[in-house]
Order: sequence, then C-alpha cells, then structure tokens
Amino acid sequence: MDWMRVKQALLERAPEALGVHIVMVLVTISIAIAISVPLGVLLTRPKYKNLGVVVLNILNLLQTIPGLAIIALTMPFLGLGLKPTIFALTVQGLLPIARNTIAGLYGVSPDVKEAALGMGMSHKKILYEVELPLAMPIILAGVRTATVYVVSVGTLAAYIGGGGLGDLIVTGLAMFWPEFLIVGAGLGAILAISLDRLLAYVEYRITPPGLGT
Amino acid sequence: MIELKEVTKIYTGQSVPAVDSLTMKIEKGEICVFVGPSGCGKSTTLRMINRMIEPSSGTILIDNKNIKDSDPDKLRMGIGYVIQQIGLLPHRTVAENIAIVPRLHGWPKDKINRRVDELLVLIGLDPETTRSKFPSQLSGGQMQRIGVARAMAADPPVMLMDEPFGAVDPIARNHLQDEFLRLQREIKKTIVFVTHDINEAIKMGDKIAIFNRGRLVQYGTPQDILSRPANDFVADFIGYDRVVKMLSLFRVEDIARPVGCTIEPNELPNAWNKMQDYQAAVCFLINSAGEPSGFITGDDFLKQGKDASPDVLNKIAGQRKRAFVEGDVLLRDALSLILEFNTEYLGVLSGNRVVGVISLGDIRKHASKKEGD
Amino acid sequence: MIMEYTENHFSLVLAAVIISLLLWVPVGVLITRNEKLASMVLNIANTIFCIPSLSLFAVMVTIPALGLGRRSALVALVLYSMMPLGRNVYQGVKVVDKSVIEAARGMGMNSWRILWEIQLPLATPVIFAGFRIAVVMTTGIAAIATYIGERNLGRLIAEGLTRFNIEMIVSGALLIALIAIALDTVLGIIEKQIVPKGLKVRRS
Repeated sequence: MDWMRVKQALLERAPEALGVHIVMVLVTISIAIAISVPLGVLLTRPKYKNLGVVVLNILNLLQTIPGLAIIALTMPFLGLGLKPTIFALTVQGLLPIARNTIAGLYGVSPDVKEAALGMGMSHKKILYEVELPLAMPIILAGVRTATVYVVSVGTLAAYIGGGGLGDLIVTGLAMFWPEFLIVGAGLGAILAISLDRLLAYVEYRITPPGLGT
Repeated sequence: MIELKEVTKIYTGQSVPAVDSLTMKIEKGEICVFVGPSGCGKSTTLRMINRMIEPSSGTILIDNKNIKDSDPDKLRMGIGYVIQQIGLLPHRTVAENIAIVPRLHGWPKDKINRRVDELLVLIGLDPETTRSKFPSQLSGGQMQRIGVARAMAADPPVMLMDEPFGAVDPIARNHLQDEFLRLQREIKKTIVFVTHDINEAIKMGDKIAIFNRGRLVQYGTPQDILSRPANDFVADFIGYDRVVKMLSLFRVEDIARPVGCTIEPNELPNAWNKMQDYQAAVCFLINSAGEPSGFITGDDFLKQGKDASPDVLNKIAGQRKRAFVEGDVLLRDALSLILEFNTEYLGVLSGNRVVGVISLGDIRKHASKKEGD
Repeated sequence: MIMEYTENHFSLVLAAVIISLLLWVPVGVLITRNEKLASMVLNIANTIFCIPSLSLFAVMVTIPALGLGRRSALVALVLYSMMPLGRNVYQGVKVVDKSVIEAARGMGMNSWRILWEIQLPLATPVIFAGFRIAVVMTTGIAAIATYIGERNLGRLIAEGLTRFNIEMIVSGALLIALIAIALDTVLGIIEKQIVPKGLKVRRS
C-alpha cells in the first residue's frame, strides 16, 4: 500500500468524483421520478388499462438489457460527457420506478376504491387521497431500487467521459493502482448503501400504520 | 383411555399458566369436548396430548403409557389430528393426502390404495372422481371431510380435533357434525374435540369439559352440565337458554306416550264419550286413508261444552292438522312447534300413522328433571 | 471472435449460477431455522447487492488470492446472487402455510420430511422467481467483468466504445440481452414443469 497514492486518491481525486457522482444520481432520479410516476398513474387509469399491462411487459423486457449496453449505446448518438450519462442513467432509472408505480396502483384493493367512490369522492380525490398514499411504499421501493442501480451503473459513466467515482476505478485498473481501486470502489459502495438505507428509512416512515410489515 | 395428571403449561415469558395443574380422564370410545372462551387453555391441552406442545410439568398417559416414553413423531403417527385450517398439502392429490400416515408407517402400496378408497366411501365421496383431485379443486366441506379421513387413515384409536368444523358455513357444519356422529357410532374412537361453541359441545360431546383461565371448571355429561352448572361462569357460558339447550339433548320418542284414542269423522258426535271410556286427554281424528288430520282435547269440550257440534269439533281438529312431529325430532324443536300452534299437545308420527303423543306438560317435567332423578 | 466471447460469457454465467445455487439454496433454507441469523444474512446480502458492480469487481481484484480474471469475476457474481436467490429461498420456505406444516407435524412427519416433501416443493414458484432474476442479472453484470480481464461479450461493447464503433456496441448489447431473454424463457418453461400441479389447478 502506497500512502502517497491513497492520499492522492482520497484528497485530490475523490471529493470532485464523489460530488459529480452524487449530482449525477440526484439529477437522474429526480428526472426519472418526474417522468415515470405520472406515466405509471396514466397507465393505470381505466382508459389505458390494457396499455398498462403491455407497457409493464415491455419494461420487464428492457430490464434484461445490461446497464453497460445502455451507457454504450448512448455515446454514438449524444457523444461523450455528463449529459449523455444522465440521459442513459435516466432511462435505466425509469424502469423500476414506473414498474413499481403501476404495480403499486394495481395493488390497491378495489374494495377500498369502491368504498371511497361510494362515499362520494371524485376520481381525482381518490387518486390523491387513497391510491397514491396506499401505493407509496411500493413506489418508494422502486425509487430505492432505481437509486442503487443508478449509483452502480453511474460508475460505468467513466467510460463515456461522464466522470464520477468510476474515474478512480478506471485509473486504478489501467495503472494497477489498488489504492485508487479501493478508494473509488469503497466510496461507491458507501454511497449506494447509505442512499439505500436512507430510502429504506423514508419508506418505513411513510408506510401508513397497519400496512406492510 | 387418556389420563392427564397435574398437567401444567407455562409459556416462556408468561407468569400466568396457560394450563394450571389439570387432572382428568377421558374414557375409551367417547367424544370428550373441551370448550371455553379463547385463551382458556383448551387448545394447549389438546396439543399437549400429541406433544405438539410439551407440558411444563405433570404426566399424560395414553392407555397407561406415558407419552414422554415414545418418540414424538412415532406418537403422532398413532394419533389422528384434525385442525381448523385442515392443512391439506396443496401439491398432493386427495389420495396422496390421505395416504400420508400409512406411507409413514410403510404400508405396501396396494394396501394404501384400498384404504384410501375405503375411507373416501366412508366419508361419502366417490373414490373414482375424488381420488386424483387436488385440494384447490374441492369445496370447503369436502376439504374438511378429507381432513377427517386423513386423520383416520391408519385407524388410530385416538383422535384429536381442534375446531375441526370451525371454518365452514353453519349449514355445512351442521351436516358435517351429523355425519361425524354417524361415523363415530361405527368407529368408536376416543376423541378429544376442541370448540368454543357451546352448542357444538352439547351436540357432539359424550362428555364436556369446560375450561376457564387454564383450569377445568366442570367436567361431565352434557345433561349434567346443563342441569347443574357448577358455578356462575359455567351458567353464563351456557347462556339463559340453558333449559332449551337441554331439550336439544332429547328426542320426541324419548318421552312420547302411546296414543289413547282415535276416531273417524263419522264418530265425532260420540267423541266425548269415547275419550271418557279411554280416559284419554287427546283424541286423534283419522281419515279414511288412516292418516291423522288433527286432534281434539279435553279442554276443547270444557270450552265448547260436552255437546259441541261435530262441525265445530271438526273445525278445531282441522286447525291442528300440522301439529305433528316425527319421533326423531329434538324436544327443543317440538317445544317450538307447540308454541307456534298454540296447543298443549303434538301428535307423534311414524310414516303417516300417528303412533304417540307428547304434551307441553311432559316436556316441562322432563326439562326440570335432574340427572339421576 | 464473437463465438469465443459468447462462449466465455456463457461459461462464466453458467459457473456463477451453478455455484450460487449450490451455495445460496442451502443457506436460504438454513436461515429459516433462526430468525436472528436470517436477518443478519439477509442484511449482508442486501448490502452486497447495493455495491456498484464495477466497484465490487475492482475490490475483488485487489484481493491477492483472486487477482485479475475469472476467479474475481466468479466470486463477485456469486456474491450478487446471494440477495435474489437467498432471500427468495428464505421467503419461499417461510411463507408456506403454517397450518399445512402444523398438520404434517401432527401426523408424525419429521422436520426433514417436512422440508423435502412440503416446504421445498411449495416454495418452488418463489425460489424459481428469485433464480430467474439472479440469472438475468448475472448475464448483464458479467459483461462488466470485461474490465477485469474477462474476454466476453462485454469486450465487444468496451472495444466499440474506445473505437467509436456502433456496430460492435449494438451487437454486444443485443447478444447479451438475447442470452438473458433466452435463459429467462428456458427457465420459464422449466418452471412450468417443476411447479407442482396442485398449485396451478383451480376449482372449475
């Protein structure tokens, strides 16, 4: 272990790489939520019900395309840098969130909706006051999956010039510097685990009492 | 015979015993029903008999053998066990489900197959169509019957049944109870039966054991318990309709008297004299086909006068055209009919012939009679 | 070249999946016997699952016994499968109807018999779901092992990236997705054969 290199990795390279990585993840997840939750809501309305099932199947199929492939496929069209990276990651983040939104809304018991309708709630009110709160734990679980996934695939962004913690790993691999590998990989792991735990906590807090385990 | 001696169960982390030094004997060939509110220790006691739960202290003997001396799995293979949720294996066919214990015993295949078919017939299901069905293809009542058949598969002398009919609707439950009582008359097993329903206990039990807070509060025949509740708890548990419940232990034939006197329509003018001759309180009107079409009583003559016209008598008798019951009707139901027709008497039928008579007075006398009187 | 890459990809996935099955199914069953152990093992699995794949591969490489190449790749892939496979085995066995087990115990079945004849057969749908997730996931992540020296389909993508060659990237991506979908489909067919019939029929 070369302490000079540890110092170099940790103090010179890590702060910026970690910052970029966090920005990358936050921006991506925000965009992904903004797109996929309304999309999920729309696809579960009675009008588009059949479409919803079709989209759910397509999303499941898309999930089989490896993250590296999506990152790589973006490059020829959007070039190198942070913006193409965010685009590629957003595509990946969309899938779990949309899927869970649809599944969560489908999962709300028809009896509950029927009862709400019978009490004179409008469809809009039912969506905001009944369906979304009840589906929220599942939607959040989707956000959590997406976040962990985006942190992970985000490390591959280094290969299309997106920066982030992947840079340290790529350098480490290219130069055979284990210090860079450990700092980059370690910070990536810590970031993913912390975000996962944070979202698990939020999920736990917002789950209405009497729901879930 | 099952014998419990000073059996106590304290669950870990609890200070109050779930079962508190329980001592009792369950006779061979009898149905003993454990009944009581939830948490009274009845299920715990039942589950200690096949060592699903181990007692904290005390001994349990089956046919004078301490159950602690046998391996739990071996012990359970020799005791039938039916639970409320039945617990049929969903991935096994009806035949495979029934065959579980015989298979554990290592019976040869053809013996198992014969036994499965025999049991299916015994519980009233067609072996050909039922044998290879899966539990998910059965109705609740059918599953319950398969559960009972499975418990009887290796012909165990003892059966433990924990609310076995609790999960089916009341009509099916009634049916299953009747069927099981019929079966028990043939198989004569020693059965411990847990329920929280006092009516089921009265109907099914040769003996009833009433539990409260881990203690045996009263143990005796249904009639004993209904006629002499040991304390306020038992009386409350049975309910205010204790006497009516007791009437459901007896059938009309148990107290019916022979018919005193019958007349045909053309004898109506002579009815009063005939009843005097026979010293009968009731006189049945019999039509030309020999079927009863009603009856007149001594009271009728008190109201209408001895010389009441045949037309009036005929009309009065005709109003009681339906006041007849079969001999196997429960006294409780007979009482209900007496109240419904506002009469003192009911005719007892066998086929369409009148063979006897019961009166409100007889029922009243029977209800207030204590056991042993 | 593509043949060689495909073969390598396939053999890596196969090896990882087989080792995962041999390892995580017994672990999943074992932890159903002890709640504390279960929550500890599942927490570890979940934590490993969070680690970015490039990071986990990189960490493996720094371990002297593993180094660059297949051994690191295998260990990392097997570790990732711990979560979907171990968790589903655990849940599948745990979720088996309590009354079925109570009844079986009451008939004198010992716990081994109950495991083999009841819990595992009834858990097959859940276990298989986890297994399919693990296989699809392993196929995708295996591509990234190209950066620690694996010569597999990931290399097509990596090379395509450095050479700005779209055809290479697309064919690499498509081949990986195809293998994943094909494996998933085959497993789906096997699942239909293996899931006990009694779990599928309904009262008509």
